[in-house]
Amino acid sequence: MARGKAKDGDGNWKKFIWNSEKKELLGRTGGSWFKILLFYVIFYGCLAGIFIGTIQVMLLTVSEFEPKYQDRVAPPGLTQIPQVQKTEITFTASDPKSFEPYVKNLEKFLKDYSADQQTENIVFQDCGDIPTDYKERGPYNDAQGQKKVCKFKREWLENCSGINDPTFGYKDGKPCIIVKLNRIIGFKPKALVNESLPPEVMAKYNPYLIPVHCAAKKEDDADKIGTVEYYGMGGYPGFALQYYPYYGKLLQPRYLQPLVAVQFTNLTYDMEVRVECRAYGENIQYSDKDRFQGRFDIKFDIKSS
Amino acid sequence: MTSINLLTSSTPLTPPMPGLVEAVAAERLLRDGPNELRPPRGTPECVKFGRQLAGGLQCLMWVAAAICLIAYGVQEGEGDRGSSDNLYLAIALIAVVVVTGCFGYYQEFKSTNIIASFKNLVPQQATVIREGDKLQINANELVVGDLVEIKGGDRVPADIRIISAQGCKVDNSSLTGESEPQTRSPECTHDSPLETRNIAFFSTMCLEGTAMGLVINTGDRTIIGRIASLASGVENEKTPIAIEIEHFVDIIAGLAIFFGATFFVVAMVIGYPFLRAMVFFMAIVVAYVPEGLLATVTVCLSLTAKRLARKNCVVKNLEAVETLGSTSVICSDKTGTLTQNRMTVAHLWFDNQIHTADTTEDQSGQSFDQSSETWTMLSRVITLCNRAQFKPGQDNVPVPKREVIGDASETALLKFAEVTVGSVAEARGRFPKVAELPFNSTNKFQLSVHEAGERQLLVLKGAPERVLERCSTVLLKGQELALDAQWREAFEGAYAELGGRGERVLGFCACWLPAGTVAAGTDPEELPEVAVGLCFAGLVSMIDPPRATVPQAVLKCRTAGIRVIMVTGDHPITAKAIAAAVGIISEGSETPEEVAARLRVPLERVDPRQARARVVTGAELAAMTPGTLEGLLRAHPEMVFARTSPQQKLVIVESCQRLGAIVAVTGDGVNDSPALKKADIGVAMGIAGSDAAKNAADMILLDDNFASIVTGVEQGRLIFDNLKKSIAYTLTKNIPELTPYLIYITASVPLPLGCITILFIELCTDIFPSVSLAYERAESDIMHLKPRNPRRDRLVNEPLAAYSYFQIGAIQSFAGFTDYFVAMAQEGWWPLLCLGLRPRWEDTHEQELQDSYGQEWTFEQRHYQQYTCYTVFFISIEMCQIADVLIRKTRRLSLFQQGLFRNRILVIAIVFQVSIGCFLCYCPGMPNVFNFMPIRWARTPGSPPPDPFPMPGSPPDPLVDTPVPFPDAWVPPDPFPDTWVPFPDTWVPS
Repeated sequence: MARGKAKDGDGNWKKFIWNSEKKELLGRTGGSWFKILLFYVIFYGCLAGIFIGTIQVMLLTVSEFEPKYQDRVAPPGLTQIPQVQKTEITFTASDPKSFEPYVKNLEKFLKDYSADQQTENIVFQDCGDIPTDYKERGPYNDAQGQKKVCKFKREWLENCSGINDPTFGYKDGKPCIIVKLNRIIGFKPKALVNESLPPEVMAKYNPYLIPVHCAAKKEDDADKIGTVEYYGMGGYPGFALQYYPYYGKLLQPRYLQPLVAVQFTNLTYDMEVRVECRAYGENIQYSDKDRFQGRFDIKFDIKSS
Repeated sequence: MTSINLLTSSTPLTPPMPGLVEAVAAERLLRDGPNELRPPRGTPECVKFGRQLAGGLQCLMWVAAAICLIAYGVQEGEGDRGSSDNLYLAIALIAVVVVTGCFGYYQEFKSTNIIASFKNLVPQQATVIREGDKLQINANELVVGDLVEIKGGDRVPADIRIISAQGCKVDNSSLTGESEPQTRSPECTHDSPLETRNIAFFSTMCLEGTAMGLVINTGDRTIIGRIASLASGVENEKTPIAIEIEHFVDIIAGLAIFFGATFFVVAMVIGYPFLRAMVFFMAIVVAYVPEGLLATVTVCLSLTAKRLARKNCVVKNLEAVETLGSTSVICSDKTGTLTQNRMTVAHLWFDNQIHTADTTEDQSGQSFDQSSETWTMLSRVITLCNRAQFKPGQDNVPVPKREVIGDASETALLKFAEVTVGSVAEARGRFPKVAELPFNSTNKFQLSVHEAGERQLLVLKGAPERVLERCSTVLLKGQELALDAQWREAFEGAYAELGGRGERVLGFCACWLPAGTVAAGTDPEELPEVAVGLCFAGLVSMIDPPRATVPQAVLKCRTAGIRVIMVTGDHPITAKAIAAAVGIISEGSETPEEVAARLRVPLERVDPRQARARVVTGAELAAMTPGTLEGLLRAHPEMVFARTSPQQKLVIVESCQRLGAIVAVTGDGVNDSPALKKADIGVAMGIAGSDAAKNAADMILLDDNFASIVTGVEQGRLIFDNLKKSIAYTLTKNIPELTPYLIYITASVPLPLGCITILFIELCTDIFPSVSLAYERAESDIMHLKPRNPRRDRLVNEPLAAYSYFQIGAIQSFAGFTDYFVAMAQEGWWPLLCLGLRPRWEDTHEQELQDSYGQEWTFEQRHYQQYTCYTVFFISIEMCQIADVLIRKTRRLSLFQQGLFRNRILVIAIVFQVSIGCFLCYCPGMPNVFNFMPIRWARTPGSPPPDPFPMPGSPPDPLVDTPVPFPDAWVPPDPFPDTWVPFPDTWVPS
């Protein structure tokens, strides 16, 4: 009890740390410490064994080729290249340094889309240049080896392909961004039927196309956006369905997801312009919480000097 | 005391008869203040409330809250997103402290109210003579020097020196513990004011007679007032549970800082910036604080307090509940606690034989043989030679409970006669009284003469030796025999025998007189001349008998390893007799005096070890050093202290405490209040107890019964056991709550368990099972165990902590992590990918993070995945905790011996816990409010997989509001079915 304890305070502590009479360290003898440590080594060893075993068994139940559940990853997100911090693209057209990171980022991303990367016919397949239906490639396993991948020609991106203009329009103050739908295994985006298409993308309708449309985030900014050019497969401003479904990185290690390049040719300078791009599909949804689901918004701030 | 001594021996201050002049009285009243006990300075309510917020655990939580706020500030300064978790945590911690504080305060407030309701609010009146006039004034207006009159039934209004008295007797039991009435007369008989006859004390009762006296002390300067103020000078000891909780907080704080420091170093080594590592450090320290424990402990204690209240023990201070359980010594008062506090006929001696009367409270005991003719005579004497009578209108009240006008002995005899022979009033009607001589201290007897048809009957009772002097014959089976030497010897023997039992003995005799011997209206003073050559009928002895339930309760204490010590102001012989009767001195135990007598050696040569019992008087005690007293307490297991003063009671308590005992003290009088306060737990009597005693006590027995204390002990021990279980249960989950964070820091995995989720576990789901453990029945008979050793049997000791933390906690952590990795892997994040993933995972701008399959995740998608992990981890902990509560149910027995379902509350709690868990997981809106995600129910293998991509237009989903597309399917398998644990709680690796 505290009454007695107060008297013999300090001596006790020293004795507790090393009791020379009983040869005890922290209240236990060496043998006792050895036993207790041995116990815990075995105990934790067993626990770790069970843990690793369970994880291994669990991994056995999980297919290598397709995830067991996809409820958290679908519906897919819509993202843009260049990848930017704070979803803001800000540069001065006359200063190449200011847009260098964006250009590099675009260049790096598009490297895989260059024609010289798509020469192996074992891997790549020409899927034409007009949108068609899904290309099913059999079950999600490697019984038939790797799956083929549709080619995507970089040239389709025209002004934004970086072939003619290595600065992707940035030096002219006409920045390109590349829009892509996040890859999800087995996901087949469904094109909207004609009637249900929102008016703004009516013109882009194709039954095998997931159209992409960019507009001002706020109504007030509508006139500040200027003209928006879309470049995609065969000139279609959207994602063609023959690129879907995706078979995963084991079966399609060099999968090229369809891209849409968006070029803003007449953006108002020296002010922040918020642009929202959306992909339109029956199973592409938008969420208030996740602002990158099926759409994204990006801020342009082009400085004139 | 000197002032009293002066007053007792000197001449009166003022000429007695006319009393004080009003002006002087008013002046003195102004000078000395009103004549009332200043109530002990009550603690202000805000301080009481403050105390509720400043216990050991509470301090720990305040510190934790402060740390959280600091961490919040640091993170906010860094512009870190998600730092509001720390703010929530701080708010939750403060809320817990305040809410439990309010709860504890409310409990205390309620019991204080119960106590307050006992207070007598009617102002006391006193008869005072001022300026020659007799006045009735409020007693609090009395001043020193006032001349007051008291009569039977009055409460003495101040300390009074008697200047004239007629048969005045006072009851000093609340002051000294003597249950017999004390005669008051003008002579000064002793130097000590407590012993002298000419002082009547404030607040004692005048039982009979009248007296006139001078007020010598008023208010707080009275003897009672001094004792009351003595009590407020005694510091309150910390309750054992408070000490235990402090010890426990030490362990927690030590471990928390150890872990925090370790991981601070680890974080620094890994290369986190200093501030970040500091935040980690703080988070770990805070994670170690068991938020739910305070609530659990408070609720458990108040549940027991409630249970005790139903058994007539009102607990003023919640922590006192447990104190009773660890009690190893009970210092009990005699009068009123162990005894019934009423004189009762215990034995009779007639026909040369001692007969035992029934002394039980409800007259349920065996009676003696009443066939002898001597008994007829004796009973007649008892009935007739008695001035006491029942108050009218009590015909329906059982005899023992009826109120009587008369002194204690006569009351006892009257009730005895009423019960054994039948209506006393009727008998008295048959033998009308002719003349009577009341008892006085010179004659030491009382006699009366009654008409009995053609004869007259003279009956006499009194001190046995005086009675015998007047007898020449003796009755044996109705035959009058000559009172020879042999009879005298027998008489002496019986007298000594009964006297030795601490009983008050009275002799009874009678004789038939021819009619008209004594005429009505004869001067009583002439009667003794008639009363010679009487016929001796018998002896009757009376005692304040022990309560019926007490011997059993004392025995129970004995088996429970609790020592019962009697401390009384009464005479040693009476004290010893009662001690022997209730078993405080067990059969066969001898005092040193008895050993000396048996061995015929001088007292000094008796080996103290031979004598188990010992009676120590106050005078002996005063001559002892504290060391000697401790020696005595060690040497003799059975101790009785008699004739002790309040200060000595305090000394006894302190000595016991120095020997390492946890001492409970019972008492009712004002004289007990210092000891009550000094004791680890003071127990006051609800009925007989004075306000001072109740104020000083921690617990109040509503029925004044010692046996209730034993119930209290049992409940206290049970709650200690159950608290241990509750705490072990509560502590266990600390580890699975902490490890996610540690792994998060060291292995940089996405955070497996969030702060809000932890708060839900601590303060919501797990509260019910941990409280339900308080309803657990006792394992085996806890009253057969020794009281816990406060040095060794801690509430939370290292084995318990090690078992909870490093064994069960580790198992739970492994379970949680298994489920976490399963949940991650099944969504596409394989375990190895998770390692080191944290920086990219938490990057808010990364909207296309690739999982193991090459799928790309937006930040919010990852966020919900993280919430899923929280929920999965939450469910694993809940599942493990259900198993945990089952293993904690028992400490010594097997689960099946204890009964799986016998604790219904626990079963309900588990169901409740599961329901809350389900509610949290499946209630719409939870993901964004409390970060809970709906988890799939376990899916049987082979059932069709759900369509992974629901179309708008498919049947409406009940959870369509949540951003989660399909809330069906599995519960993570629990890989560690730890309902069975190979190591019992007591097992310590050695």
